[in-house]
Amino acid sequence: MDLVLQLLFTGIGIGAVYALVALGFVLIFRATNVVNFAQGEFSMVAAYLMVVFAVDLGWPYWLSFLIALAGMALLGMIFNLGVYYPLRHRSYLPVIIATIGASILLANSVLAIYGPQPQVLQGWFETPGIQLGPVYLDSQYLLIIAVTIALVIFNYWFFEHTLLGKKLQATSQDKEMASLLGISVSTMIMITFIYSAVLGGLAGILVAPILFVSIQMGSTIALKAFAATIIGGFGDVAGAIIGGLALGVIETFGAAYISVPYKDGFAFLVLVAFLIFRPQGIFGERVAEKA
Amino acid sequence: MPLLEVRNLVVRYGEIEALRGVSFSVEEGKVVTLLGANGAGKSTTLRAISGLTKPASGEIVFDGEPISGLGPETIVRRGISHVPEGRRVFPGLTVKENIMLGASNRRAPKAQLSREADAMFDLFPDIRKFSNALGWTLSGGQLQMVAVARGLMAKPKLLLLDEPSLGLAPVIVQAVFRIISEIRRSTTVLLVEQNARMGLSVADYGYVLETGRIVLGGKPDELWGNEAIRAAYLGGHAKVPA
Repeated sequence: MDLVLQLLFTGIGIGAVYALVALGFVLIFRATNVVNFAQGEFSMVAAYLMVVFAVDLGWPYWLSFLIALAGMALLGMIFNLGVYYPLRHRSYLPVIIATIGASILLANSVLAIYGPQPQVLQGWFETPGIQLGPVYLDSQYLLIIAVTIALVIFNYWFFEHTLLGKKLQATSQDKEMASLLGISVSTMIMITFIYSAVLGGLAGILVAPILFVSIQMGSTIALKAFAATIIGGFGDVAGAIIGGLALGVIETFGAAYISVPYKDGFAFLVLVAFLIFRPQGIFGERVAEKA
Repeated sequence: MPLLEVRNLVVRYGEIEALRGVSFSVEEGKVVTLLGANGAGKSTTLRAISGLTKPASGEIVFDGEPISGLGPETIVRRGISHVPEGRRVFPGLTVKENIMLGASNRRAPKAQLSREADAMFDLFPDIRKFSNALGWTLSGGQLQMVAVARGLMAKPKLLLLDEPSLGLAPVIVQAVFRIISEIRRSTTVLLVEQNARMGLSVADYGYVLETGRIVLGGKPDELWGNEAIRAAYLGGHAKVPA
């Protein structure tokens, strides 16, 4: 029982990282109808930005954190202008290929600067964790869970209770109609890219002290997050979060009880099972959209 | 000077010429209707005016300023609100949210928009009880009311209405047209209709479009009185030979 609780805590912590990246996937997909294959690279770049500021330059952790997130906002903006905007009137295929191209460019740019050697980033807290009864709560995992809860609440408030959130939703549901009402569609999409890049970056910064900071971390996280969106129901915000958490828990339990080397395999086994037996995901087809 | 003047408007979809030099005008305070069969170019005309479709040539002058070639976001700020074919109510937003977003062309705080949307339900009492229902749950007639209410939230000088009667039961069509005759007290309306009888019943002036050209214009009783026109374009019955 103690082990179960411990594994649950760890699983939710790692699942929260997948959830954040999955949320970025879903928001961009809803706004542009395109999957952004560079979403994972946002996490990787943010983690390296932390290495630059907190490790190499030795700046305070919180300052580095803020600068890294600001850098991600800027990257989201550039990404939108350079990758999506010029192709926005084309079909989805050129855009998807452009995001794959951007992901290769980002990964190799970082590789050119830092080389293949993984970097180490310390956690936010000095204290490694606290013992709560039978469960040891690692401070970094606690931070990840707290930040994710705060972001899910913020996300809900933003999309459900602000006019800007409603305009973003309107844009994702019918761009032409949104423009007829005077909503600036290109501004809404810009905001979506910035927000998604910051979400992805946040996930990368939070998970970096648990994993190593490496070129490959982006694609690993992105694959899991992508699987999470399919498990949750593609295009569904709640589905992305639940899917991410579920995936984290499943792979943690799988690693503990079945096999550690096959840890990554469990996530994809679940993905394949969903694709066969419930391709619409947990929350799929809840809202039938009328033509 | 008319509120809206369209001169020699040409619109092409690839090889196809949808509008071949359309000219007409809309006087302030009037209801003008564009009639014609399917594919005559009625919707294309409205799409060109609101900026959804770029004209190949021709001029559109609104309120004394050329607007041809501007984007839809700019044109709605100038005072033209377009309620497009098919209603296009956002399916995942509530009725009230849909209506509030109709004011996206002007800056106003959320609380004020909420009050204005509530006031809008006085004009559309039938949809008041669906205020918090999601768009996709509504029927065609209710969606049409939401779409018109949303269009009016822009406080337009000119309202473009595209086929408001399409697919609605006759009793609902009556209700929609009662609302149009309400609206005309404060707003100029350019109405596109396939249902010529309904269109002419509220209009001050009508134009008949045929394959991308205006073939006729006149007051409703003139158009309705012309037997040949009635038979050919307005869906009336040809006169049985005596």
